Amino acid sequence: MVEIDHGCKCPGNPLLPQICKVIKITEETPDVKTFRIQTLDGKKPFTPLPGQLAMISVLNVGEAMFSLTAQGDDWIESSIKRVGFLTEALHNLFEGDLVGVRGPYGNHFPTEELKGRDILFVGGGIGLAPVRSFIRHAIAHRKDYGELDVLYGSRSYGDLVFKEDIFDHWPKACNTHITIDIEEDGWDGHVGFVPSYLEEKAFSPEGKAVVLCGPPIMITFCLISLAKMGFSKENVITTLEMRMKCGVGKCGRCNIGSKYVCLDGPVFTMAELEDLPDEQ
Amino acid sequence: MNDNLAKMREAAKRALESGDVGYVIGWGATKFPDKTSPLFMRKPEDAERLVWNEYAIPGIAKYLLDDLYPDKPIGVFVRGCDSRAINRMMKDNRIKRENLRLLGIPCDGKDDERCTICRNRNPLVYDELLWDEAPTPEPKDRYFRANAVEAMSADGRYAYWSEVFDQCIRCYACRNICPACNCKECYVDMTATGFQGKQHSRSDNLIFGVTRAFHVGDRCIECGECERVCPMGLPIMGQTQKILKDINELVGDYESGVDAESENYLGVFDLDDKDEFM
Amino acid sequence: MKIKKDKFKDALASIAKEAKVFLPMKGVYASEYRVWDGAGEPFFERNTALPPKELLFPRSERMYEYDLNAGTVTEAAPDEKIVIAGIRPCDVRSVEHLDKVFLESEYTDVYYRARRENLTMIAYGCATPAPTCFCDSMDVVPTDAPGADVVMNDAGNSYVLTVNTPKGEHIRDLISSFLSEGKADDVPAVSCSLKVEKPDDLHKQLIARFDDPMWETLSDACLGCGCCSYICPTCYCFDIGRENRGKTGTAFRCWDSCMFSDYSRMAGGHNPRPTKKERLRNRYLHKLAYFPERYGTSLCVGCGRCIDKCPARLDITNVPDIIQGSESNG
Repeated sequence: MVEIDHGCKCPGNPLLPQICKVIKITEETPDVKTFRIQTLDGKKPFTPLPGQLAMISVLNVGEAMFSLTAQGDDWIESSIKRVGFLTEALHNLFEGDLVGVRGPYGNHFPTEELKGRDILFVGGGIGLAPVRSFIRHAIAHRKDYGELDVLYGSRSYGDLVFKEDIFDHWPKACNTHITIDIEEDGWDGHVGFVPSYLEEKAFSPEGKAVVLCGPPIMITFCLISLAKMGFSKENVITTLEMRMKCGVGKCGRCNIGSKYVCLDGPVFTMAELEDLPDEQ
Repeated sequence: MNDNLAKMREAAKRALESGDVGYVIGWGATKFPDKTSPLFMRKPEDAERLVWNEYAIPGIAKYLLDDLYPDKPIGVFVRGCDSRAINRMMKDNRIKRENLRLLGIPCDGKDDERCTICRNRNPLVYDELLWDEAPTPEPKDRYFRANAVEAMSADGRYAYWSEVFDQCIRCYACRNICPACNCKECYVDMTATGFQGKQHSRSDNLIFGVTRAFHVGDRCIECGECERVCPMGLPIMGQTQKILKDINELVGDYESGVDAESENYLGVFDLDDKDEFM
Repeated sequence: MKIKKDKFKDALASIAKEAKVFLPMKGVYASEYRVWDGAGEPFFERNTALPPKELLFPRSERMYEYDLNAGTVTEAAPDEKIVIAGIRPCDVRSVEHLDKVFLESEYTDVYYRARRENLTMIAYGCATPAPTCFCDSMDVVPTDAPGADVVMNDAGNSYVLTVNTPKGEHIRDLISSFLSEGKADDVPAVSCSLKVEKPDDLHKQLIARFDDPMWETLSDACLGCGCCSYICPTCYCFDIGRENRGKTGTAFRCWDSCMFSDYSRMAGGHNPRPTKKERLRNRYLHKLAYFPERYGTSLCVGCGRCIDKCPARLDITNVPDIIQGSESNG
């Protein structure tokens, strides 16, 4: 059973962005870019906890909520898929361009509560982005955790995000299992969907918590697989996505039942979600 | 209970019992004697909840757009205005005649100012007529709002429309009730495009007002529902009345929705159009 | 403490010297709380078409200016003193609810706080509820408003005043020359004709019936417009947008409605509340279940505006009726 903190911490006027600059842009896939962001005086805008969110704006276009995937001493990073007007505008930015940033919003992954336990991270497509912050944290505090497994899949090799991490960095500290949906030339790794790969791997539920994030259809089937494998809903953690405007539980739209994803989430256990209305 | 209501309940019940229709749309009571609410009857016994009185005012044809691919035809009671709404939506290729089972009910006029300009109390399209037609009384001035505005100076008109649209809260009730406002997706809801600013300002409110009026344009069926539903009581029929008045003065007698075939006057592309104004 | 009705405007004029005074007034088209110009008559017979929330939570509100050339954002700070004279007890309660959201929850909203601190409410005890009013079923006393700074009640040719707060004392001092001693003859009790019976655990029962077919029936006639949300004194959902001029512009927030299709639609097109059924259910549940769960009180104050103005005559009181099993089918 994992206890999740549902408090959100964001100082000052939470609706006012700081102007920051994009100091590095990494093209992860044809439609995903990672933006490294810093204040104008070269500092970290704020220090998010793993799993927390930020409102990122192209000030003259609009703003939206994104998960923060990584942070350093003087930067934060978010990986963003191009799906609409704002993300298109973000993808058109160059290094050195200005963005607005406010946050951090929402709760965070249970980094403390899971100390000493084994963790299985399961990601699909861009769904690895929110999980990455936790994986990086776990690796940085490697001795605090038991066995770490990362199982990640995408449609094709080209669609795999964070290739340096999953192929070079992470295998040094955890077991990585990478799969793509359909066979392709030059790929000699695993082929198949994430849920079936999960069952193939036959992870033992003993003492293990699962952090699961990906497209809804993948989540649905992974939950079936995890249940078959003996994982209880209390030990499966996920992050939710809803449309957001304010980030602090006021503008209304990201509610699921009486919970606001921006404030009480985005991190929930599957057991908690089961108690909420089915409206995602 | 009046005879006509008995006939309506009987017709709804018969249609639902026969299984020929999925449901029937009419009017039901509310907790308030002077208000009726659109009623969706799904079971034969629901027909007992039907009401028909001087407050059976709300337009009900627009709900057909909520169910474009029904399993069975939808039964609808049609007064003159509802029938014009249905013709309008059929002409605009939004609904199909074979999906409709139209129960014609000649209207006796309702307790509403807008009904005083009604030109068609009798339904113009129906499958069965529940009682005999009666002539529509001589309507009051068809362009009563537009005439009042035309009489103003240009500055007066600007002041007038500014005052009207300063009050608009942009709830879009006028759009949602209007059978001519039947776009699959309204430009207003495409917020990311920036066509319609979401800010409440005179300019954004006027942009909405003008766009609505011109897009409804010659397709307005003159039911007046836009004004009835406006929570701020704004006299917005003046806009579409002016367009209809100009058409009638320039090209002759024209009414929208009297059938589902006649061409529109505006919104038609014609290579031979002289475009004299350009 | 009493004030003669024929001195009421003189008293308002004294207040208007230091604050903007809003009165319920008839407009050309609809009644609302309007800036008093020194002459206009108050409209006390019916509640206003538009609620007073506009004064605390404007339809459109400037939040900050941005300048991408200079790399700056400049925060707006509203600082206008406002006195509402004649706000009804249902609307006073609505302000208390908005306070919960904008002041007392996890985050304080700086724009709302600035307006709220500058607001003084003089309530007008309601003597004439409309047929659609049901505030006394929602724990509001039509003739009293504990949340207001001053309460005034009609007593024939004068108003009786009760001061509740330091802000109220300040108002009393401003208008002291027009006041005379006098206690309220007992204010006659007022009762709404529309009564709503609801179980204590209404919110729990509603959530338990999240998948009930009743939502389909309730939303049949809904047109999906935003009328109910915009005229509701407690609907506080907003959108954030910007008015852009090249590299500079203004970020604003404006009223939004959960009844609109765009409201919860995500980039990429997925909408967790795709039809009017889900949207109306969310609106009703927000009022009657989610807000009580989160803030411990119903978000509906029983002002009846939505019942009166809904184009399709939807009636929120049908929801508790269904739960009570007493749905009237006419």
